[in-house]
Amino acid sequence: MHEPIRPLLDVSDLTVDIDGARVVDGVSFTVAPGEVMALVGESGCGKSLTAFAMLGLLPSVARRTEGRILLGDRDLATFSERQLRKARGKDISIIFQEPSASLDPLASVGSQIADAYRIHTGASRADAFEKARQMLVDVGIPDPDRRLDQFPFELSGGMCQRIMIAIALICGPRVLVADEPTTALDVTIQAQILDLMKKLVADHGTSIVLITHDMGVVADIADHVAVMYAGRIAEIAPVQDLFDHPAHPYTALLLASVPRLDVAPKADLATIEGSVPTPQEFGPGCHFASRCPLVTDKCRVEQPPLFAQGYGHRSACWHIDRIAEITGMLP
Amino acid sequence: MLRYVGERLLQAMIAIFGVLTIVFIVMHLSGDPTLLLVPQGASAEMIADLRRELGFDRPLWVQYVGYLNDLIHLDFGESVVQRVPAIDIVASRLPYTIQLAAGALTVAIGVGIPAGILMATRRGGWLDRVLTAVVVTGQSVPTFLSAILLIFVFAVTLGWLPASGIGGLSNLVMPSIALGALSMSTFARMTRISVADELSKDYVRAARARGLPMPKIIVRHVLRNASIPVISIAALEIGNLLAGAVIIETVFAWPGIGQLAIQSIQARDFLIVQVIVLLISFVYVITAVLADFIYAIVDPRIRLAR
Repeated sequence: MHEPIRPLLDVSDLTVDIDGARVVDGVSFTVAPGEVMALVGESGCGKSLTAFAMLGLLPSVARRTEGRILLGDRDLATFSERQLRKARGKDISIIFQEPSASLDPLASVGSQIADAYRIHTGASRADAFEKARQMLVDVGIPDPDRRLDQFPFELSGGMCQRIMIAIALICGPRVLVADEPTTALDVTIQAQILDLMKKLVADHGTSIVLITHDMGVVADIADHVAVMYAGRIAEIAPVQDLFDHPAHPYTALLLASVPRLDVAPKADLATIEGSVPTPQEFGPGCHFASRCPLVTDKCRVEQPPLFAQGYGHRSACWHIDRIAEITGMLP
Repeated sequence: MLRYVGERLLQAMIAIFGVLTIVFIVMHLSGDPTLLLVPQGASAEMIADLRRELGFDRPLWVQYVGYLNDLIHLDFGESVVQRVPAIDIVASRLPYTIQLAAGALTVAIGVGIPAGILMATRRGGWLDRVLTAVVVTGQSVPTFLSAILLIFVFAVTLGWLPASGIGGLSNLVMPSIALGALSMSTFARMTRISVADELSKDYVRAARARGLPMPKIIVRHVLRNASIPVISIAALEIGNLLAGAVIIETVFAWPGIGQLAIQSIQARDFLIVQVIVLLISFVYVITAVLADFIYAIVDPRIRLAR
């Protein structure tokens, strides 16, 4: 047995409040160098806020109240805005869901990429543009010299996301946070962007924290996956393990609701009854209790901790032993 | 780009033609202008002579064609009172109004835009609240009242500034503030809305995410994007300032075209009024075209559109 690799990114007990409501509640996960960690969940489950909190980019209404965000041996949670600013783009970068809206429409693509490099390195304009040109080649944009002078409106969404990736990686950060990077793109472009991200992991050893609601994307690229529900991690596991042996009712139902091409459709896809509770409706127990088919009184009053289910596999459910019942209930 | 410029110029020409026609119609709406010019108790013969001399006996469409023809040849007619070309009289007064408008615009832009930026970047803070109060005041106090208040405080009570008339720069201060106050409020409000709107956009968050400091993001990205609606307002406000000068010049005894307009209306010197109305209308049209050109400089989406 070899030693487990020391994590590059170690997030623990990350908690975010909005107006007194706990929208991210004690989220913990680690990411090893060169690993892709996916945070999966429905809209509003707190996955994007988790991402923003890691870089100190929370909207002004939200506040990080607890948690450590260890990047290497430095805790980003203790950083001042000034320190965070220096870390953003250099040590940890983020790309967003709407690549076209993430670029200033009035500034040339080249100047926006070069700015990201100059701010952290103090390089000259000419050097920064040369570096920007190289980055465009790296992210697979043909005819980089022409692209540098173009404006965002002249580029497609997929092209803009490549530009955003170039900006994010130009200073060689160790961690890239990708918040729904392919959601706004066409399916064929999605695949290209995912391939590009896989290539970057392989070439540079960049760790990726991928925020998504798409199980297909998770299966394609992630090494580990954390399933989030209503602000908490429901289950966290190596990706194959999670798909093969889901150990939380929510995960099991979620996987059953994903259409699959490799399995003949027997009947209707499974659905999860009800809707996600709002933070105001959160009870003292498990947040999934209101929709869970295995629910008991204990679930409603006592929050389940993350129980170990195997190597690197943990799940927050009081009734893991009854998980097989879920499969029996499926259509 | 060339096509864009061409289109704007064509639109401007159509607008100017429209202005000329409306001014002609309004001038003749009140009936025969001859009656306004003759002294009381004039004989029918005198009236008929004057009417013939001024060409008001011709059919309306003939007058209209003649009017357009004169204007194309830059002949704006003679002042019926002073018997010198109307354009010369207006031109002699114009520099004063330009001075005043420039002063007012300096106040409006110089105070309004920085105030708007501060309000947007410190939204909800005490500075935002104080400036909002100033802006609302500037917007709600009528020009004639603020002018009189300024004179009362700074000329009569404190004696810091001359109460009226032309002279040095000190004479320009109060009329500029009085005239510029309303525009200042408009600039401040528009800038605040526009900057606040841009600050909430994704590209600002993305720029922060790559480590750019907020002041740099505001200067490099936000202000440029926010300037587009402000440019539209600036174009309108320049015309509004000329129109507002009518009141301010009267209050401050400022010998510009506003005061001239009032004097000419009282003297029924309608050709001078006509020149002033045309001039102000042209300024509106020209500034609108200029604004369109500035958009193209600022915004590549307009500049590079084919």
